[in-house]
Amino acid sequence: MPRIAGTDIPSDKRIVVALTYFYGIGSSLSRKILKELNIDENIRARDLHEDQLSILGAHIGKNYNVEGQLRRQELQNISRLRSIGCYRGYRHRLGLPVRGQRTKTNARTRKGRKKTVAGKKGIKEMR
Amino acid sequence: MSRSIKKGPYIDNKLLKKVMKQKETGVKEPLRTWARSCTIVPEFVSHTFMIHNGKVFNKLFVTDDMVGHKLGEFSLTRTFRSHGGKKK
Repeated sequence: MPRIAGTDIPSDKRIVVALTYFYGIGSSLSRKILKELNIDENIRARDLHEDQLSILGAHIGKNYNVEGQLRRQELQNISRLRSIGCYRGYRHRLGLPVRGQRTKTNARTRKGRKKTVAGKKGIKEMR
Repeated sequence: MSRSIKKGPYIDNKLLKKVMKQKETGVKEPLRTWARSCTIVPEFVSHTFMIHNGKVFNKLFVTDDMVGHKLGEFSLTRTFRSHGGKKK
């Protein structure tokens, strides 16, 4: 299995697809990168030349934010929001949706698994 | 280019004027404002604002990190009384 830019080991899929195994590279960015380097999209990752691999690695490492570096930057952005005390930071702290989504229902990605609230349906009897 | 970029940031003129005046005179008193939709520009840094949340004015000391946000983001408009706990 070929190895590009450090630890990543994409499989023997087409190279456009293989690149999307990077954190931070999707299909459109992958296509763009290959175009910049004049590499055919349809070559299988294992059939790439040594030097093509190294060029790819160098190119991605130099021009794009991927993997650990990108993750670190994301965390940094969030911690900045938290520290300045703005609304978005506050939502991050509470673990609720940040971009104004509804929270009456749904929002399970942020809130985690369902917690059943006793008597929620029969609101009348509350209070 | 999205439309909002073309339009540029919204800055409340009156507020900016007041800030510039404070810069000239050197006094730094908290500025009361209702302009929650006003973007924080670099000129605002190290000034203090009292931002209305619909009920009271919340104090905010502007730092470098806050540039580019809106004033209203720092003055919450909802109160959250926590869930749970035993009813009395």
